[in-house]
Amino acid sequence: MAPGQKLYPRATVRKIVKAHSKCNVSKNVDVMVFLDYVLFMQSLMKEAAIDSKQAGERGVSAKSIKKVTADTLAKFKG
Amino acid sequence: MASNADRAPPSTPGAAVARTPNRRAQSADPNSARQSASARRGGATPHGRAAFAALQKRRTALFTPGKERRRSIRDQRETPRDPLRALSRLLAPSSQAIHSSSSPSDPGANNSSLPAVAEEDETHNFDDDSDDFMIERPRLSLNLREDDDDEYSELKPPRLSGLEDYTAQSIELPRRAISELPPGRPSLGSVGRESDYHEFPDPPDESTFAMPAVESSPAREPMFLEDSEPMVGMEDEMEMEDENENENENEPFGLMDSDNDSPGPADRQPEDTMLSLVTDQRVQSPQNARRKKPGKKISKHGIEYKSLPQGVVKRLATTFAKTAGMGKAKISPDTLDAIMQATDWFMEQLGDDLQAYAKHAGRKTIDESDMITLMRRQRQTNSSTTPFALAQRHLPRELLQELRMPVPAPIKGPRKKAQNDAREDGEDDVT
Repeated sequence: MAPGQKLYPRATVRKIVKAHSKCNVSKNVDVMVFLDYVLFMQSLMKEAAIDSKQAGERGVSAKSIKKVTADTLAKFKG
Repeated sequence: MASNADRAPPSTPGAAVARTPNRRAQSADPNSARQSASARRGGATPHGRAAFAALQKRRTALFTPGKERRRSIRDQRETPRDPLRALSRLLAPSSQAIHSSSSPSDPGANNSSLPAVAEEDETHNFDDDSDDFMIERPRLSLNLREDDDDEYSELKPPRLSGLEDYTAQSIELPRRAISELPPGRPSLGSVGRESDYHEFPDPPDESTFAMPAVESSPAREPMFLEDSEPMVGMEDEMEMEDENENENENEPFGLMDSDNDSPGPADRQPEDTMLSLVTDQRVQSPQNARRKKPGKKISKHGIEYKSLPQGVVKRLATTFAKTAGMGKAKISPDTLDAIMQATDWFMEQLGDDLQAYAKHAGRKTIDESDMITLMRRQRQTNSSTTPFALAQRHLPRELLQELRMPVPAPIKGPRKKAQNDAREDGEDDVT
């Protein structure tokens, strides 16, 4: 990753959370949200990699992602 | 079966007639429409080509008698045909066809009459019929003539392809093209597509997401559907999906019978409703634009938002795919689309949960404590792992450094949550 590049658009994350919750978002919540999202992505990609390996695919396919998405989301249900 | 038909020549044309449309119907039934679309244009479906080739072969075998055929005729003749031959000889002078009476008597006559194929064909069929089925000779010959005509006329404009036209236009063009484009399966039959079609939207609705039942879960379900088919709005989307399922179930089996099969409305209706819905609900997100860059979406509270930029998501996905063991993993656009969808869903779920926590605490502001509660309930943090440790472990190092520099507070801060609660988010983008 380029050094000057933004890690993630904080305003976007904040707006997303705000739009979905209809609440104000406190100051540093978006960092935690992004951390949570990173954890989610890690779990998702791990599961999808396992799935696509079982299916014998080379890369991670969209199908395995879709198959795994529901479970991972359920895992990250608060 | 084909050899049998060759061996018994009188049954050959009948078999050809009876078999060719059947086979084409069977082949056309399970995989309905995309194939048929190509068949309609070029006539070059594999099944159609195979059927045509088989028919040609049968016809040539019928027109040019080979050795086996003659031999088989001889075998058949030995037992039941002597009285018949006698009868034919008796009847021969009364009837005007002298050729026909002479040709089956000796197999050499067949050879001699080989070059004259066209007239040989008629007499030949006729004679074979007379030889084989002595009782119903006139009727069978009549049927043969009719069936032959039918066969040749049916071959040119196949009735099945005419039917498939309707399915192609009513099933294929409007809804598959829209709903099934993101996975991008151009070559599969409708069975595979249908299974995929049912496979994806079903599990998020029923099994997984209705279960935890936050108070906002009924409103969330259409959002998932909406995201799976990004063009259409919520309730109409549900209806549309029901329609689609019904039609998909109906049409490959009962082609003519299903009531919505008439070509005009079946063509127009889904497209028009789609278009109207699109123009109604979200004007600015046709699918291609959404593929290029995620457009504005509307949450269930009616607030517009943009999803995370694809670059961030792709970078994360690539990193974690590498970590998960897919070595030189390239994230294809399809995969990225799926991941983006999962991201949207995740964000929505997270927003709902955070809202529930904040509301429960009597706040109108989502706080860090909510986030900590959420992560603890997600079992991401427990007594041994702090969010800071998580951040250190799971964020890539350079990301962590960048994250720490502008924002030192939340990483150390979350554990001692004595931060002031009444913080408004007046400030915006820091980095």
